[in-house]
Amino acid sequence: MKTVRRAWAELVEGLRIAFGALAGARLRTFLTTLGIVIGVSTVITIVAIIQGLDRSFEEQIQFLGAHTLYVDRQPWIQSDDTWWMYRNRQKISVTELKAVQRESQLALSVAPMVGIRGKVARGGVELESVVLRGTTEEYLNANGGAVQAGRFLVSSDVELARPAIVLGTDVMDRLFPDEPAAAVIGKRVLVAGRPFQVVGVLERQGQLLGMPLDNVAVMPYPTFGRIFGAQRNMVLSVAAPPGKIADLESELTPILRRARHVQPGKADDFAFNRQEQFLKLYKQLTSALYGMAVGVGLITLIVGGIGIMNIMLVSVHERTREIGVRRALGARRSTILVQFLIESAAVAALGGAVGTALGLGVAQLVALLSPLAAAATPSAIVFGIAFSTATGLLFGIWPAWRAANLDPVEALRYE
Amino acid sequence: MTEAPLISVENLTRHYKVGEEEVRALDGVSFDVMRGEWVAVVGQSGSGKSTLMNLIGALDTPSGGSYRINGHDVEKLSDDQLADLRNNEIGFVFQTFQLLSRSTALANVELPLVYRGLPRKERKERAVKALEAVGLANRMHHKPNELSGGQRQRVAIARALVGNPSLLLADEPTGNLDSATGEEIIRLFGELHQRGHTILLVTHEPRLAARCPRAIRLSDGKVVADGPGADVASLGAPPVPSPHPGAAA
Ligand SMILES: Nc1ncnc2c1ncn2[C@@H]1O[C@H](COP(=O)(O)OP(=O)(O)OP(=O)(O)O)[C@@H](O)[C@H]1O
Ligand SMILES: [Mg+2]
Repeated sequence: MKTVRRAWAELVEGLRIAFGALAGARLRTFLTTLGIVIGVSTVITIVAIIQGLDRSFEEQIQFLGAHTLYVDRQPWIQSDDTWWMYRNRQKISVTELKAVQRESQLALSVAPMVGIRGKVARGGVELESVVLRGTTEEYLNANGGAVQAGRFLVSSDVELARPAIVLGTDVMDRLFPDEPAAAVIGKRVLVAGRPFQVVGVLERQGQLLGMPLDNVAVMPYPTFGRIFGAQRNMVLSVAAPPGKIADLESELTPILRRARHVQPGKADDFAFNRQEQFLKLYKQLTSALYGMAVGVGLITLIVGGIGIMNIMLVSVHERTREIGVRRALGARRSTILVQFLIESAAVAALGGAVGTALGLGVAQLVALLSPLAAAATPSAIVFGIAFSTATGLLFGIWPAWRAANLDPVEALRYE
Repeated sequence: MTEAPLISVENLTRHYKVGEEEVRALDGVSFDVMRGEWVAVVGQSGSGKSTLMNLIGALDTPSGGSYRINGHDVEKLSDDQLADLRNNEIGFVFQTFQLLSRSTALANVELPLVYRGLPRKERKERAVKALEAVGLANRMHHKPNELSGGQRQRVAIARALVGNPSLLLADEPTGNLDSATGEEIIRLFGELHQRGHTILLVTHEPRLAARCPRAIRLSDGKVVADGPGADVASLGAPPVPSPHPGAAA
């Protein structure tokens, strides 16, 4: 009980002394903390930008359904030197589509996707490079998304290979400026020079890694085949029940191998792609950024820490007599040690708090002035302050140790 | 009945190594001090008075010999135990006051109690009482630079007394004061002695030493006289010119 009270009294006294000393030398305190302030604010800014990116990326990635497998002849994410391996693979075709539709028990829906960039025109307006996509009425079920006006493709559109088209919002906005989506339904547009009828308009989807997703026009895949050739590679979107995506993959593998006549013992000549892989790629990219933040943070904290250590050594030197007096009155070595540790931790925490506030301010500014959605989580704030406090403690050890080990008699005699 | 002495010093030595040379600041000192005594320590500059006080005050460790303070074998204590001994048994008064300049008189006086772990309220009560006892009730919230030299030394005495130590050590407490103020401080020590405090007082002034019931004279780190203050003080009144002047000045 007594030791607890003594420790408490010494802690309070330590804090009192620390803030007294800091307030007594404001300019020096400011200069001391400058390194920490700059370091912490830089890290907080970078982290806030990364966290903002994370959030918007997670929003963007939603369009690739979390429960959807994309079957293609090649993986979408590949290292630079492997692309040639996939070049000569057989295209995915209606055969595979039919096989999956027929045999898969788990698949909730299956939609083929073929695509090309091409012209969409109306009256005097001609759009050069719209993503033209051929699919079926299952497209929205398999991929997510919705129409905001009109309807999506229906099975008869597909069976009859009708010239029906559903527009993405970017395409609609540019072809029919100032017209509401509902007014566009039933209008005629030219796709690659051929007449189509607009049957629906999609909801806005935003962008993925800077690519707009709304610059799209969707038609039945047989119609697409007639115009651009039926021998194009397909991607199959296959939706799995929640949590069953791995099971779906194992179920589809033999179906696809059979449909593509892959000899036993040979490797698969197709690939499953999913949202997760993009997340993984993205994590790799941001982990590099995080590494940079950590590097910058570490360097500046070391610089700041050395600054604190330097100032604390000066402070110990200046207060030699004070230390002697305290020792003469009954302060133990550990008491002096703790007192100076508290002081350096307090300076650093102060710097950390100011740096965090500054970093958040800069992040806000970045969010205002750029398309980056910088946003810091509370954990970043706690971390910023905790980390600088720890730096203060670490770099305060040597000065505090020196203070604690001063000889009381020498210290009292010190001029 | 024989009461155990409060201070018991036996053959105490303290050597300093300065380069190749060994300075024998204390060279085999022995004496006892009983509870309630007021002892002056006199001697020429460099005779080892401060060295002795620092040892008795548990601020320094001896090169040899042994000594007990209030039953503690000081030379056997650990550093933390020495700190606790200083806190509980010793009250220091220094020539240069040694007050913390950023703290008020009250905070200065409270300090020993902080290191004793007393609750804030009790600390304050006792510090106020100690300041009242030295006649500074109206200066409690002043910082040292707002006080006169005599007042500063009173604050220091209050600080030395606040922990109710068994021993008061004063190393030339009047050295930085004019003679009138010094006289006041000495009178204060007289009162403390009357109230039963044990006091060890280093002084240069034979006049002050003469007023102490007992005085110990040091010379070259040895006790050369120990007796009634008046006798010991007069011994050195006109400093006897030595045929072998001391090595150091
Ligand atoms: N830290 C030290 N290193 C070396 N020698 C020292 C040290 N401290 C004291 N001495 C020497 O020890 C001797 C006694 O010193 P001390 O301070 O005890 O003298 P004193 O009697 O208090 O003198 P004064 O009356 O001038 O205060 C002196 O010769 C001094 O030079
Ligand atoms: Mg001296």
